[in-house]
Amino acid sequence: MKKKVITRRDFLRVAATTPFAGAIALSLKSGEKLSPNKARVVLVRDKKALISFNNPHPEVIQKMLDDAVMTLLDAKDPIESWKKLIEPSDIVGIKSNVWHYIPTGRVIEQSIKRRVMDAGVPDDRIDISDRGVRRSRVFQEATALINVRPARTHHWSGLGTCLKNYVTFVSYIPNYHPDSCADLAKIWYLPQVKGKTRLNILIMLHPLFHGIGPHHFSRKYTWEYNGILVGQDPVAVDATGLRILQAKRREFFGRERPLQVPAKHIFLADTRHGLGVSEPNRIELIKLGYKDEILI
Amino acid sequence: MDNCSHKEKKDLSSLLPTEIKGWKAEEKDHSYDPQTIFNYIDGAGEVYRSYNFRELLVRRFKREGKPDIVIDFFNMGSSKDAFGVFTHDLEGEEAGIGQGSTYKGGLLSFWKGPYFVSIYAEEETEETNKALLDMGEAVASAIQEVGEKPDLIAILPGEEVDVNKVHYFHNHMILNYHFFIADENILLLDQQTEAVLGRGVHQGKEYILLVVRYPEAGKAIQAYESFTEAYMPDAIEPGLVQTEDRLWTLAKMKDDLLIFIFNASSNIFAKEMLKNIEDRIGNE
Repeated sequence: MKKKVITRRDFLRVAATTPFAGAIALSLKSGEKLSPNKARVVLVRDKKALISFNNPHPEVIQKMLDDAVMTLLDAKDPIESWKKLIEPSDIVGIKSNVWHYIPTGRVIEQSIKRRVMDAGVPDDRIDISDRGVRRSRVFQEATALINVRPARTHHWSGLGTCLKNYVTFVSYIPNYHPDSCADLAKIWYLPQVKGKTRLNILIMLHPLFHGIGPHHFSRKYTWEYNGILVGQDPVAVDATGLRILQAKRREFFGRERPLQVPAKHIFLADTRHGLGVSEPNRIELIKLGYKDEILI
Repeated sequence: MDNCSHKEKKDLSSLLPTEIKGWKAEEKDHSYDPQTIFNYIDGAGEVYRSYNFRELLVRRFKREGKPDIVIDFFNMGSSKDAFGVFTHDLEGEEAGIGQGSTYKGGLLSFWKGPYFVSIYAEEETEETNKALLDMGEAVASAIQEVGEKPDLIAILPGEEVDVNKVHYFHNHMILNYHFFIADENILLLDQQTEAVLGRGVHQGKEYILLVVRYPEAGKAIQAYESFTEAYMPDAIEPGLVQTEDRLWTLAKMKDDLLIFIFNASSNIFAKEMLKNIEDRIGNE
């Protein structure tokens, strides 16, 4: 059967129907039905989250994370909530992100590790890594993954968020670059990853909402949002982060200014790969903390 | 990641300053090639690969208590590709350095000869801005070559499109970055094709001009057929269709060239624009 080509005209046909027209147009290619499931995402914000840029407040971060995970899982205390995610027998990889300009950072990594240990996993069965995941014994044997990284726009995929964070699990990353990283969700079906992710944490403390130059970074295009998004569905978490970043771009530039490269991999993770849900009406968004300039 | 020949590395290195306004170069430079660039700038590395870059030399400058400044010095192998990669991101103000430059948000970019240069301050201050511009001047002065822009640029009507905002590129990935046409490579673009994309405004609406040159006419014929089959199966006459937004797309083949007008406000305007371009080709 001849492969169906998606052209600009497919987008034009559905442009007036929904703000997520792109997802629908792209779904034409897969022919798959949208998942009926509704995903819960928790957004927590605290004005005291940051001491300075790339320097979060450890105690505030721990509380934000605890509040978010308890709410996500309807638990009464932090340890109970993490025990719903992690078994003492698990081998846990905390998939971080070391991007020089806005890394996940030690404070957040250690907040997560603390709770994994509270759930009963000993230190020697936990590893935190980004570019070393393919060499790490713990990651090779992992039964559970916690996926954590900051949100930022990305030169080639539109957005660097939870879905994209697993790209270091593959041996040759450029294989996933065609069509602006459209099929990043495929990585989530590789044996070393498939079905192992217990929690996705998208850090929105000072996201990058616009990028320039080879490094796609300027402090000018970050802002203090003081937020963390948490969810078990990576697609729902990313789609929510995308809405916030788009709203910030609208506010900053004073007009509708879409990402230079649409973050279609997020919608295709839903419509083509069935990994999760991307449409707002299928996401239960719970907001904790202050609401000023929340943008969503 | 030192993967390039010692001789080439030394030559590039000699074009960069070692100290400017108190910022001193770190002892060791770093270099990357098309295989290793992702270790340095992840996905954006595709852009430089798309323009056939040969080597990237990175020099970091430090000054106590001040933000670092980084020079990314790309040997693109040809002035066409140095110009092309410069046109990938044209946002910013002209800084008057090299053969074309932009400045924005603590980032100076320019091209000269076969080189594309990006100078970036990790934090934008008045001091770093001055140092960036001085570094840019120093690098531009050290480059002796002066390059020519691709001749394809001249085909676009300068009175209709802003020639300072034209993108020059080779392949499908970069085309879609600037203007999405299709997820598949229906124009059969590759590293041997050359393309220019410009934007104009007519009756308050932006339209797109795209001209592609293929290595030979036979390839242009294949590409024309591939495009019209995928993009305009409902063409009202050869190469002309009204799209779902009630705007017009016109495609025409001329020898080894394909000419496209997207988002034209009328079919008459699209044909006028096509004639304008064809006349310019005739005068080349």
